[in-house]
Parts: sequence; structure tokens; C-alpha cells
Amino acid sequence: MLKFTDVWKSYGDTKAVAGITLEIRRGEIFGLLGPNGAGKSTAVHLAVGALIPDRGTVAIGEHGDPSLPDVRARIGIAPQAISLYESLTAEENLTFFGRLYRLHGVQLREKIDAALRFVALIDRRRDQVKTYSGGMKRRLNLAAAVLHEPELILLDEPSVGVDPQSRNLIFENILHLREQGRTVVYTTHYMEEAQRLCDRVGIMDFGKLLAVGSVSELLTQQGGKTALVVTTDGTEIRMETDDPLGELNRLAAVAPVADFRLERSTLEQVFLNLTGRKLRD
Amino acid sequence: MLTILALAQKDLRILIRYKSGLFFTLIWPLLVAVMFGTIFSGESGQRAKIKVAIVDEDATTESGRFAARLEKSGEFEAVRANQDQGISLVRRARLTAVILIAKGFGEASGRLFYGTPPQVEVWIDPSRKAEAGMLQGLLQKHAAARMQSLLSDRANSRTMIARALKEIDAAPASGDKAVLGRFLGELDRFLAAPSDNPANAEMGSWQPLEVVEKAVARGTAGPAPRSSFEITFPQGILWGIIGCIMTFGIGIVTERTLGTMTRLQMSPSSRFQLLAGKALACFTALVVLQSGMFLIGRWIFHVRPQSWILVMMAAFSSAAAFVGIMMLVSVLGKTEQAAAGAGWAIMMPIAMLGGGMLPLFFMPSWMAAASHFSPAKWAILAMEGAIWRGFSLREMLLPCGILIVVGITCFLAGTRAFQRNLT
Repeated sequence: MLKFTDVWKSYGDTKAVAGITLEIRRGEIFGLLGPNGAGKSTAVHLAVGALIPDRGTVAIGEHGDPSLPDVRARIGIAPQAISLYESLTAEENLTFFGRLYRLHGVQLREKIDAALRFVALIDRRRDQVKTYSGGMKRRLNLAAAVLHEPELILLDEPSVGVDPQSRNLIFENILHLREQGRTVVYTTHYMEEAQRLCDRVGIMDFGKLLAVGSVSELLTQQGGKTALVVTTDGTEIRMETDDPLGELNRLAAVAPVADFRLERSTLEQVFLNLTGRKLRD
Repeated sequence: MLTILALAQKDLRILIRYKSGLFFTLIWPLLVAVMFGTIFSGESGQRAKIKVAIVDEDATTESGRFAARLEKSGEFEAVRANQDQGISLVRRARLTAVILIAKGFGEASGRLFYGTPPQVEVWIDPSRKAEAGMLQGLLQKHAAARMQSLLSDRANSRTMIARALKEIDAAPASGDKAVLGRFLGELDRFLAAPSDNPANAEMGSWQPLEVVEKAVARGTAGPAPRSSFEITFPQGILWGIIGCIMTFGIGIVTERTLGTMTRLQMSPSSRFQLLAGKALACFTALVVLQSGMFLIGRWIFHVRPQSWILVMMAAFSSAAAFVGIMMLVSVLGKTEQAAAGAGWAIMMPIAMLGGGMLPLFFMPSWMAAASHFSPAKWAILAMEGAIWRGFSLREMLLPCGILIVVGITCFLAGTRAFQRNLT
């Protein structure tokens, strides 16, 4: 659905994207993970044709170059900044964005209703956006991205500054989009979100794509072994092992086990192993 | 085209909701036009009097009469004081000037056509030079009126001539003495002649200069505004135009800082469409602003354009010029504050040089010459041409053509810089 082939993009001496090759499949939720400044937003801008690569190609399925207006019309985007007009109502914002995507008349009104229902803002449709909470603005930002029913939806850090209730609602919306067969690219620096939502993830740092795969694949390949933590005779013992049950049995045979737990590796650990530093350094 | 219309409609809707922007675009220019129009027309009440202290150091009948004449004239708000008190009041900016009637005023008043003239000293606040000129003119006027009054009284005039002839006789011999003696003798004989002589009868009403003030009326030959509002409305409209383009220019910067520009860039709209939508919204707002101001001027303030077609030419060409300038303002800064600061720093001299603050004739010659480079000057000239200067269609082509060229040039430069900012 979205294909990067050896894509490079620099701002002056800074390489924002350095030789990315990646193919995102139709109907999947793909997480693009990395700390701030990793190059995720630049990759998103390249994907919608708002930036032209210095080298390499970006293609949207069989449609090709996303800098072409007709190709861009198949993409929806919720930028990281809340890109709405605060003095306009939700309905006026969506009407405006819908018209940019060539929607008119009854069709536009129906899609606005559907989008507002989708993000649970139908009751606030005639309120100016400046009266909304941060979470409501994020949801409307998402509604503007899906209004024209695009094949590919790019969500750039959609949960930043959002209350837990709105965050859950946004997650449900994203999962619902997958059920509808849409392709979603989700950038975030919250690994737990990626683990919860994404079919596959790509980890970026300093403009490079360090690893790509499903969450379980990355955990297995890059996350290290599962850790067994056992409390015995008032002492806590932590050991990494491929066979936690066997290790537990061996320990129980030697001394009574008061407590134990398993610590599975996380994407946070994967990032640490790949880059040598924590995600939020 | 539908995309451009959608963009323009959105920007106009935001303008309507943006209260302070709307105030500076629509209400402020109207206030400027009405305020200055009222001041220039004198409809705000009586013309301000010059505040003076009158110091009569001579203390003679003649100096007393002259002081009383000044007080009664209605042109001064006068207080009597001694010299020190008067100067102190001027220094503290309570008065504009001290008029000091010097010693010897009364005696000098009795001399006709010879000797030292009656003297008045004027101690003026140096920061009020404009009023100093007016004050001198008023004093000369009252001196002439005093002279007229003296000559209107035959007996008094003949007494003065007799005294003068006596003093001339006593003076040492010279060529001037003989000439002046002959002149005064002839004048005395003229005054002694019977009053039924027609020339003699008119003497009582003789003045050195009679100034007849006439109001210019509609239909008078030559260019002339029919009301002071016809002068001030173009200035008010100019300020409205500036307010409007600042609102739109900063609005584009806001779109960049808030991120809505990112979404617009990522939509299927081309950059040309984005910029054309912005330009159309600004152009529409400027045309509506100017039309509204002209209509308010017409209905309420009796601003009667000589040709509505020429008015529309002026409005469209001014709008074109300032839409281009708006595009330049939008790339002046990366934040709203930076763009606003830089924008006003450019717009203020443009407005000042163009006659938006002061009439061009108040400016030094080099500034008047520099005004040719201000689009504000050509916008005001085009509007004045359509309202009261009586421009023909051909005469309108120069200011309107310059405005359109300025608009296209600025738009292309601003668009180029804007696109560079986006990439």
C-alpha cells in the first residue's frame, strides 16, 4: 500500500531520513516508532507528497507518486499538531476539509455525520473548536483525516496530550478502521501503544529504520530472553532464561519459593538493545 | 476553482469571527475617516482659539484699545498678565504665546508713514511653530484694522498729519523730507475736501486687502472636494486596507504555526490553489471593505463620487496591490509576533509616505518625491480621482496601472518566498 525505496531526505546537514526501504501492507496497522527527532514526521510528510525525497521513491500502491493531487486524495492524515480552525465549528471544519477532498452536497453532509459519529462528537458539531477539550480536538483531528474515506490513513502521534478516556476512544477508532480494511500508519514514541495496536512496527532513530517486524517477532529477535524473578528465603533472584518453567522447578527443589514472576521483554527493551539508549533519552 | 472558493470562504468566515481583526478592518477605518473629517470640517464645534497672555507695557489709550481689540476678536483666549507671569505660563505649556505691547506703542501709533512703527513682541512656545505663523498673521490683520480705523476718522487723521508735518519741519533737511512733506500736505488737502467727493467718501471703508472666503460648491470649475469627508474617507479606507492585509498576512503565519497549513499542503490542493484561495479571500475582503466605506460615506457623510465606475476601478486596483503586499507580509516572520512587528514596521512608512497620516504638502520635498514609491499614495490618488479630483478614465489609468503592477510584483515575490518557506 505504501512503499519507500531507499528514500533520503536532509535539512541542511541533518539527515532526517537516511535510506529507508519499507513496504506497508494493505489493511494493516503499522507503527512507526522512535524518539522525538527520529524522522517519523518527515517520513509521514514524504508519504503524502508534502515533501519530495532527495533520493529514492515513495509510492502509494498502484497509484504511484503521492505528490500528485489525485494520489494524495486517497490519503488521510492527522498531523501531530492539531490542525483545525479554532474559531470554526466542528461541522464547518469538516465541511472545509471535505471540499478540499472534492466532496460536495449530500455526499459531504453524510460523510460529515459519519465522521462525527465515528469520533463521538456528533452532539458538539455546532460548537466552535476552541470550546473543546484537548481530547475532543484530537478526535476531531482524526475525523478530518478519515472524512473522505481514504485507503491510507497516517496518524502522527495521535494520542499526545489526550486524557485516558479520549485515548481509549481513539484506539477503538483505529482498530475499527482496520476492520474496515483501511491501512493505518501510526507514529508514536509510546511503545505500549504500539504493542497494543500495531500488527507490525518499524523502529526509527536518527533517520534510519533499525528494525521491522511484528511485535512478537521484534520481541523475540531483539528483546532478549524472558526474565524469571523468584523470591526465596527473603532474597529476590532475577535470571534471564529460555526455559522459565524448568528454572523455576530447579529452584523450588533447592529451596522453598515464596513468590515468582516473569518479566517479558518490551519494545522499550528492543529499542534499548538496538540503539544502546532508552527511548526517551 | 471550487477548492479556491472553499479556501476563500473559510478565510472570510474566520475573519468575521476574529473580532479584533474585524474591528481594525471595518470599524477603525470608519472612525479614522469620521474623526478627521469632522475635525477638518469644523463640525465638532468652534475652531480652537489661540491661548495668549496680553502684556500692556505701554499702558496708553492706544495700547489699551489694541489690547481690547485682540480680546474682543474671538480669535484669542486671552488673559492679562505681566511679562514674567505670561512667560511662565508659556513655559508651563498653559499658553501658546505672550503678546507684549511694547513701551512707545501709543506714541508710535500717532505717526503716519514715517518713524519707528508701533511694536509688539511675541514670546512663543517653540514647540508650536505652526500657531506662531497664524499668530503673526492675526496680529498683522488687527494692525491693519487699527490703521483703517484711524484713517476713517478725518479729524483724527488730519491731527496726525499736522503733527507729522510739524515734526518733519523740525527734522534736518533731506530729499525724503521734501517728498514726505509734499505727500502729507496733499493727503491733508484731500481729507479737507468736501465729503461729497465720491473718491473721498469711499475712504472710510478702504482696506489694504479684502479677503473674501467662499465655499467651493458642486459644479465649480476645477477639482475640489465637496466635503471634508471626501478627503478623509480615502485615508480611512487606506487604514482599513492596511488593517485587513495585516490580519490576512498574520493569518497565513498562524496557519503555519498551528499546523493547519500542513494539513492544507497534504490535501489534494496544489500550492497555486492554496495561495489563490488566500489571495481571493483577501481581495474579496478589501473590495467589500472599500465598497462598504464608500456606501457609508455616500449615505451618511455625503461623500459623492463623481463616477462609481472609477470608484470600482480604484477599489479593485488598490485591492490587487495590497493583496500582493499581504503575501509579502506573510513571509516576514516565522511567528505571528515577528510578522506583525515587521509588517507594521513596513506598513507605517508606506502609509506615512503615501499621505495616510499627513497630507503630502506638509512633507519636505525629498519625502514628497519618495512618496511616488508608496502604493498608499497611488491608492489614495486613485480614490480621490474617482471621488473629487474629476479624473477621466485615461487619467485613472496611471494610478490604477501602478497599483496593479505593484500587486503582481509583490504577489510573485511573496509567493516565491512562501513556497520556499514550505519546503
